[in-house]
Amino acid sequence: MWNEITEKLHEVLRNVMPQVDVVLGWERGFNPLRIKPVVVRSEKDISRLVWNPFCVQNLTGYLVKNPAVIAGEGKKVAVCVKGCDSRSLVALIQEHFLDRDRLLIIGVPCQGTIDWRLVMKKIGNTTTVFNAHIEDGILRIEHSGGLEQMSIESVLLRRCLRCAYPNPVIYDVLIGETVTPRIDKSELYRNVAQFEQKSLEERRNFWIDVLSRCVRCYACRNACPLCICQDWCIAERRDPKWVTQRPTIKDIFIFHSIHALHLAGRCTECGECERVCPVGIPVMFIKEKLNEINLRLFSYEAGLDPQAVPPLLTFNPHEAGI
Amino acid sequence: MEEKSTTSANEMKIIGFLCNWCSYGGADTAGVSRLKQPTDLRVIRIPCTGRMDPLFVLKALISGIDGVLVSGCHPKDCHYAVGNFYARRRLEVLKEFLPFLGIDADRFHYTWVSASEGQRWQEVVTEFSQRIHELGRNPGVGTKTKTENSVEAY
Ligand code: SF4
Ligand code: SF4
Ligand code: SF4
Repeated sequence: MWNEITEKLHEVLRNVMPQVDVVLGWERGFNPLRIKPVVVRSEKDISRLVWNPFCVQNLTGYLVKNPAVIAGEGKKVAVCVKGCDSRSLVALIQEHFLDRDRLLIIGVPCQGTIDWRLVMKKIGNTTTVFNAHIEDGILRIEHSGGLEQMSIESVLLRRCLRCAYPNPVIYDVLIGETVTPRIDKSELYRNVAQFEQKSLEERRNFWIDVLSRCVRCYACRNACPLCICQDWCIAERRDPKWVTQRPTIKDIFIFHSIHALHLAGRCTECGECERVCPVGIPVMFIKEKLNEINLRLFSYEAGLDPQAVPPLLTFNPHEAGI
Repeated sequence: MEEKSTTSANEMKIIGFLCNWCSYGGADTAGVSRLKQPTDLRVIRIPCTGRMDPLFVLKALISGIDGVLVSGCHPKDCHYAVGNFYARRRLEVLKEFLPFLGIDADRFHYTWVSASEGQRWQEVVTEFSQRIHELGRNPGVGTKTKTENSVEAY
């Protein structure tokens, strides 16, 4: 099935190539579980692209962060997006970081993406993977230790388990059939509600506990498509000095507060921050709370409507109770 | 003026961010009218509550500051017309967010006091200070580690 969709993708891209300068997509990495982003500029390289549940990366950040992938005069960038990635595009268009007219959006409905780390844990971390095959929700892995089968559901990224928007919300071409969301929108913040059953002190201790693993590699921020400041990020500037270089839990808290509050009302829950964390910190969970607040106070969900203005970038003189 | 003023021994560390045009003036009015006020508030003057980065509050509370009060012009009375409209959204979101990290939202309060409301300023600051005294010291996060940015340096 994935081969067919991949072929369909190639076909679509060959057709649109005359309008397109560069294509941003995924290609196979050093083993079947690992896919990497790829920038393709000529038609002959289109066959390198793939689409399958290992295509975890959100590619939209490459369109806005230096050196950004941009198209020449009068041409477009074709970018492949899953449901979550498409919401990042909407957010970037809303904030005028991207021009919709210069994009050719290839949408791929997504059945969930796989956390290779979970797979490796199941098959024993030291084995070599030769082949990975997915059929009917079952992942079959051929590896140096033999053959292993597991359900896709058991190895999905957390963001996919709580995904209400698997189908791209903005696209020019849609490849494959739309899929039914795993959860309903009304369930999005059940984990937040559950966490809030804990006492203040338990919550504080939870964050001190998980965040004390943070090595402040800033991978979470670097992977975030909406963290466009790069060298100007206030977490790294010395003036004003928000965080020191000392490895204290306080500095870590302040760093995460910066990232979370700068994403308040903007974060589309693409989960990249959490996926790239080398020490498995549920970084997106912090932003989920902020999104829950924005939904409740301002009935706003990020990355759905290119015309909408994020709630903290605007105001309403008539709103009461605030 | 009969009751004893707060002594420094049980003084709390409270930061007040006051907008230049209204609340700073209101605090001034209270002072000029010799209205009695608690002494644990350290005032930081900001040009407008629109300048108020919610991170100021978070950083203070993470660092173990016992309370943070933000006060500006009443909605529709902003010197810059709309600064406080932006501010109230941001500050409300912050207030709801604090408990998620395990920080008591009662340690943070935002309100509006105009330059002529000396009396109201006195009430706001007295109430807030009382509330913080009831809550006691803020444990902050990791404030036991002494760093140049730790609470001792404030
Ligand atoms: S990716 Fe993980 S370890 Fe790195 S800064 Fe973010 S939370 Fe910390
Ligand atoms: S904060 Fe995380 S989940 Fe939100 S947009 Fe950035 S990378 Fe995606
Ligand atoms: S954390 Fe804030 S300052 Fe840093 S890159 Fe993200 S948005 Fe910019």
